[in-house]
Amino acid sequence: MSTILQVKHLEKYYGNKGNLTKALDGISFDVKTGEYVGVMGASGSGKTTLLNCISTIDSATAGQILINGQDITELGDKALAKFRRESLGFVFQDFNLLDTLTAYENIALALTILRQPASEIDVKVRRVAKLLGISMVLDKFPYQMSGGQKQRVASARAIITNPALILADEPTGALDSKSAKTLLENFEQLVSEQDATILMVTHDPVAASYCNRILFIRDGKLFNQLVRGQHSRKQFFDQIIEVISLLGGADDNA
Amino acid sequence: MTTLKLAFRSVRKSFRDFTVYFLTLTLGVSLFYVFNSIDSQQSIMSLTSGQSSALVMLNQIMSNFSILISVILGLLIIYANRYLLRRRKKEFGVYMTLGMERSQISRILVLETVFIGLIALVAGSALGVVLSQGMAVVTANLLGAGIASFKFIFSLAALRSTVLFFGLTFLLIMIFNVVMVRRQKLIDLIYAARRNERFKLPHLGRSVLLFILSLACIGSAYYLVADNGILMVPVLWSAVALGVVGTFLFFFSLSGFFLKLLQQTKKVYFSGLNMFVLRQINSKINTTYVSMTMVCLMLFVAICTLSSGMGLARAMSAATAKSTPYDASFSIDERYTLTSDNEIHIDKEYPAAGVDIMALAKERGVSLKFAKDYATVRYYTAEPNMVEVTKVSGRAVSLKNIYIQLSDYNRLLELQGIKPLALKTGEYAVSSVTPYGKELIDTMGDRLYEQTITLQDKRLSLNKSRVFFHTLETSSNEENVLAVVVPDGLLVGAPAARDVLNIQYKNPNVEPQAVANLNKFGDISQLSAGFETKAQVVEATGSITATLAYLAVYLGVVFLIAAATVLAIAQLSEASDNVRRYRLLHKVGTDDKMINRAVFAQILVYFGVPLTLALVHAVVGISIVSNLFSTFQGMKIMGSSLVAALIIIAIYGGYFMATYFGSKSVITREYAKRESET
Repeated sequence: MSTILQVKHLEKYYGNKGNLTKALDGISFDVKTGEYVGVMGASGSGKTTLLNCISTIDSATAGQILINGQDITELGDKALAKFRRESLGFVFQDFNLLDTLTAYENIALALTILRQPASEIDVKVRRVAKLLGISMVLDKFPYQMSGGQKQRVASARAIITNPALILADEPTGALDSKSAKTLLENFEQLVSEQDATILMVTHDPVAASYCNRILFIRDGKLFNQLVRGQHSRKQFFDQIIEVISLLGGADDNA
Repeated sequence: MTTLKLAFRSVRKSFRDFTVYFLTLTLGVSLFYVFNSIDSQQSIMSLTSGQSSALVMLNQIMSNFSILISVILGLLIIYANRYLLRRRKKEFGVYMTLGMERSQISRILVLETVFIGLIALVAGSALGVVLSQGMAVVTANLLGAGIASFKFIFSLAALRSTVLFFGLTFLLIMIFNVVMVRRQKLIDLIYAARRNERFKLPHLGRSVLLFILSLACIGSAYYLVADNGILMVPVLWSAVALGVVGTFLFFFSLSGFFLKLLQQTKKVYFSGLNMFVLRQINSKINTTYVSMTMVCLMLFVAICTLSSGMGLARAMSAATAKSTPYDASFSIDERYTLTSDNEIHIDKEYPAAGVDIMALAKERGVSLKFAKDYATVRYYTAEPNMVEVTKVSGRAVSLKNIYIQLSDYNRLLELQGIKPLALKTGEYAVSSVTPYGKELIDTMGDRLYEQTITLQDKRLSLNKSRVFFHTLETSSNEENVLAVVVPDGLLVGAPAARDVLNIQYKNPNVEPQAVANLNKFGDISQLSAGFETKAQVVEATGSITATLAYLAVYLGVVFLIAAATVLAIAQLSEASDNVRRYRLLHKVGTDDKMINRAVFAQILVYFGVPLTLALVHAVVGISIVSNLFSTFQGMKIMGSSLVAALIIIAIYGGYFMATYFGSKSVITREYAKRESET
């Protein structure tokens, strides 16, 4: 399998000379195509900063981020926009759907920004909606949907462009356990059936247990890695809990 | 086509949530059009050349003031736009994460501004055109002009300047928005909502201290103005500065002060949602005291301009009506000239027997066929000169004393359609036209009534019921004259002082005929002769009255709209911020009635507190202004500010209601849908 994401010695500093905070302190790791990678860590460990840097929402202080061999830290504003619309898919904790648009339109927006022909859009939207089980709510506005439905619409929007990498920031954070389970199973399915690659930040060990591999971050550094391998989800969950207790507890709700 | 669709959608959403923004834009556009289109109103009026030049002047003054107004409106629109834009940062963030380029986002914003601008311009101009039809009637009234024929009034010039000004404003907004989109970092956009959620807890001691200090500042500002009036400029400025600082401190400390105060009285604090509402207000007033101060001061300006401007205009037109009871008055008396050392020199004494105006008319070929009725009256000088110098409102005033015989006086009353006056033997009456006269008579009090007159060996005394305020002739300058009315025959042999011919027309259309005939009197050797018609007087004062009234409404309403809009937009956007809190209240079982009441209370406080302070400021300010003017115009602003109050209630109240219903719908819509999903 090819490497889709390479993070090399990534550093992110906040503040000025007198009062420097190292949010990311030289992190390096790779993600291969079709992997479902979780990022865990206590609040303030730098996991969201890491995701923001990879997603080009934030800019890195030093180091490289290569996606499909291209260093995104060196891209200009226009190229960044192109990169985001063609290679990335976002799922946020608070959904970030546009409340002026229906579910259908929210999903279609990702395609219209890519200037895809209208004839293809309908087929694609309906296919992805069916995949995520939201065909029923396509005509509804975000305020008419439940949290779980909203998050699945947001996920549909993220995957419809077939991005190289899907970035999810606490996607289950605002969902109840049942909705969270559905969403996580959807993600699992996307990886296994659609060959999607997902990088997911979470503090929830249950959510993390769906991943193939977990990166643990502490004080801006890579602390540990856990690969699921042939273990069952339950076994993997127990292993995660073990590392968390080693980390000093991730039970604060960041 | 996505950009167009997105822009269109978001405009539609703004329509729903920010009715107030559109209301303001539309009102602004229509006001601008109305007050710039005054000269086009003459198409429906029959105007004399004097009236039409007055109208042109009025239009000129209004267009000049429109520059100031456009600056205020422009700033207001930019402020509102910035406020609305700030709330949409996250939306732009989402666009960017989806890979939209900044130029595309800018294009959406530009399109939106074009949409909003077009809608506001069309709606506002339409409203303006409708309003200007009605205003033409008011203008005609103020200028004393007749309505020739009703027809549709439309001013292309006014429309052009309206489109130009608002077009420029919207262009400015577009540039502003594009710059904002270009400047912002994605991370700041996407996490915009999570920021600035900090509370500053008020310290009781500091709040109380600042509150007292603010009251002291405001109090001393009042004292300075009350003590020195507004004519001493340096004092006035320090009073204004103290007032502004006091108002600022007032809002800075008010909520903390009240919160702490009410927390002491647990019965009130823990009743219903009081606690929540107070905390709500407190959490925001801490950060909004600057805008509250601005709102309060704008309201103060609006109230003062509206009530004093309209009061002054009303007083002036009342004074004009009072001083023009006859359609025309022709008079002859002595001609004065001022010598080089400023002494009055009488060119020739007025003949003791007076001048017979009717004989003169015959001689000069003056025809009075245009008159329905007319009467001559002769003023005499006689002893004693009852009132010479008296202090009125702290100023020395002298009233000229003239004597009139009863039959002449009654003819004048008849001309005015007033019941004739009957004098018992041994009685005299006094009459004065000027506002001073009344005050003077009041000031003199018993001294006046004790005064007796001896004429032809007859003693006459004044009965309290024999004091009148009738006008003796139509004139643009009121003379400080006190007329003493005595029974016929007692003035035989007394020297004449002035002869007057008062005329009532058959109908208003004979004015040119009247002017042509009265002009035939020409010059009368060495004496001062001349006439004034009611139309001339009304025309002269009418343009001033109209200018005052229109300026007051124009400036006042714009300031009022500005203040109300700032409040309304802040409250409405707060409502969507607070949805989470209200949803929580709803979830813990608060019923809708209670929540609505809480929303109402919160908005009422926001609208009410600045208005209350502004009203207090205004009452103090206006009473001082009115003291200043009453001595020369008889203006009672307080009494005549009913119209102003109505305008304020209509506009400010309208914005209040729009804000309340807007906030309520945002909140209930939000938790209603939450319910339906579970």
